Amino acid sequence: MSYIEVHDLCKRFTVRKKREKGQFLREKTIVEALKNVSFSIDQGELVGYIGPNGAGKSTTVKILSGILTPDGGEASIGGIVPWKERKKHVKRIGVVFGQRSQLWWDVPIIDSYNLLRDIYRVPENDYQKRLRELTDALDLGNILRTPLRLLSLGQKMRAELCGSLLHRPELLFLDEPTIGLDAVSKLSLRDFLKEENQKNGTTILLTTHDMEDIAALCPRVLVLGHGKKLFDGALPDLLSRYDTQRVVNVRYNGDCFLPRLPKGCSVTKEGDSYKIIYAPEQLQTPQLLSILQSAGEIRELTAQPQNVDHMIAAMYKEMDL
Amino acid sequence: MDTVKLYLRSMKMLLRCQMQYPVSFLLQSLAQLVMTGGEMMAVLLVIDRFEALNQWTGGDLLFFFGLMNVVFYITECFARGVTGAFPSLVRTGRLDGFLVRPRGVFTQVICYAADPRRLICIGIGALAMALGSIQSQVIWTLPKVLLLLEAIFFGYFQITGLFLIEAIFCMFSVKSVEVVNALTYGGRSCCQYPVDIYPRPLQMLFTVVAPFGLTMHVPGAYILGKPLYGWPAWSAFLCPLAGGVIFLIMYLFFRRAMRYYRSTGS
Repeated sequence: MSYIEVHDLCKRFTVRKKREKGQFLREKTIVEALKNVSFSIDQGELVGYIGPNGAGKSTTVKILSGILTPDGGEASIGGIVPWKERKKHVKRIGVVFGQRSQLWWDVPIIDSYNLLRDIYRVPENDYQKRLRELTDALDLGNILRTPLRLLSLGQKMRAELCGSLLHRPELLFLDEPTIGLDAVSKLSLRDFLKEENQKNGTTILLTTHDMEDIAALCPRVLVLGHGKKLFDGALPDLLSRYDTQRVVNVRYNGDCFLPRLPKGCSVTKEGDSYKIIYAPEQLQTPQLLSILQSAGEIRELTAQPQNVDHMIAAMYKEMDL
Repeated sequence: MDTVKLYLRSMKMLLRCQMQYPVSFLLQSLAQLVMTGGEMMAVLLVIDRFEALNQWTGGDLLFFFGLMNVVFYITECFARGVTGAFPSLVRTGRLDGFLVRPRGVFTQVICYAADPRRLICIGIGALAMALGSIQSQVIWTLPKVLLLLEAIFFGYFQITGLFLIEAIFCMFSVKSVEVVNALTYGGRSCCQYPVDIYPRPLQMLFTVVAPFGLTMHVPGAYILGKPLYGWPAWSAFLCPLAGGVIFLIMYLFFRRAMRYYRSTGS
């Protein structure tokens, strides 16, 4: 049996609409946030959890972290059902909500950590050791005495991460941890997560919209849409299905006479350069090159790899999300 | 014991948070002083004009006023998480954060907020109680002191219990909490005066539903030497337990309601 076992998980929400004029009762609609979602994750895995907004990602995380009770299905994490033995369960997990702070706003973050130590009943020796480890790894040393409200977004996120890892959780839920971070902070955060996963064997479930995060960190992705699981496997496998198009930019010296390209190719003019999107399966690359060459005198030609975000967008579109 | 330690440490932290804005703290405390002080003036004026209300002398009324204020503001000071902050905890999703920590939700809600500005109001209440008991020539004995402490203790639990009703409503995202306010804030205003001056229905309301009469007035009357409704002395020691019962019932409902907590989107 795997560490995390989820079987046929269901969750419904009743949404009450605003009462319209002349109506006596408000209309209710039932939204199915999760429909029979099943998956399993082994200890030490780093799994990316993606899907468009409102797909049910947060709902899953909330159920697995014991916040919500599902309407149907089973889940167990390390043999414990999260919503049945909440206190026992949450002792071993850490949760970071990207847009919500778990720390206290007005006091230095070290004070927040001290209180978390009391909440999680971490023995003093362990706590000091772990705090030193984390402050070194996350480079928090010189902001420990700064109140949370004075920290930048990147510093805040590092501080939150430290807070959620003080009690050495076996399992870490991250809900959009890199949202709004600059490139340097993002990269260092990724390195940290990778190391936490490899060194301490922490299982990590990462929810994000940032495909670069996923590409850099997660050997495995789960795709959720409309409350259903759509894909479970490696990211390259997922992308190869949608990675069918190539983009070429050409600039000419002087005039050019581009002929009509076969169906499935598109040409757009941006300033003095042409952007050509084509599918190598339909129009072979040598063929395209000869067409381009005969059209005029080429000044420069660049090839672009397909953007991951575009592929995901194409995927969501095809899956009708 | 562990929980008490956590509570004390949280309180220390909250006090530090407040002290981050010292001017604001000072000004708001001053506002509290004016507000509660004004209420006390009103009571003093009533007493001055009527001398007595039923069997109660001016000193007695001042004593009851003080008792209510001490208890109510102790609750607002030390159970702020329940009396004021709870709806915003649900709305902002902060409650999610409590649920992923290995402690009781109620414990964390209580530890989450405190309102030290109310200390001023508690002080005024204590002052009124002292003045009233001097005016009514109360002879303090050990049982009376213990009874007073018991009344304050269970009064705190009773009011916390009443505010829990509002918290429970929040869980089902029902916004109409006015009914609950009638019990809590309404109760505070009405029961600054002993309950037996009111007509029968109100007496029933504040004895059975929101038993301010039992937790505060029965023991208060005993201390003043004028037993309420002529009930025997032992009842004064027993009645405040009603506050504990109210709290226990509401606490159990609260725990049950947590299962229906829906969280908010992110």
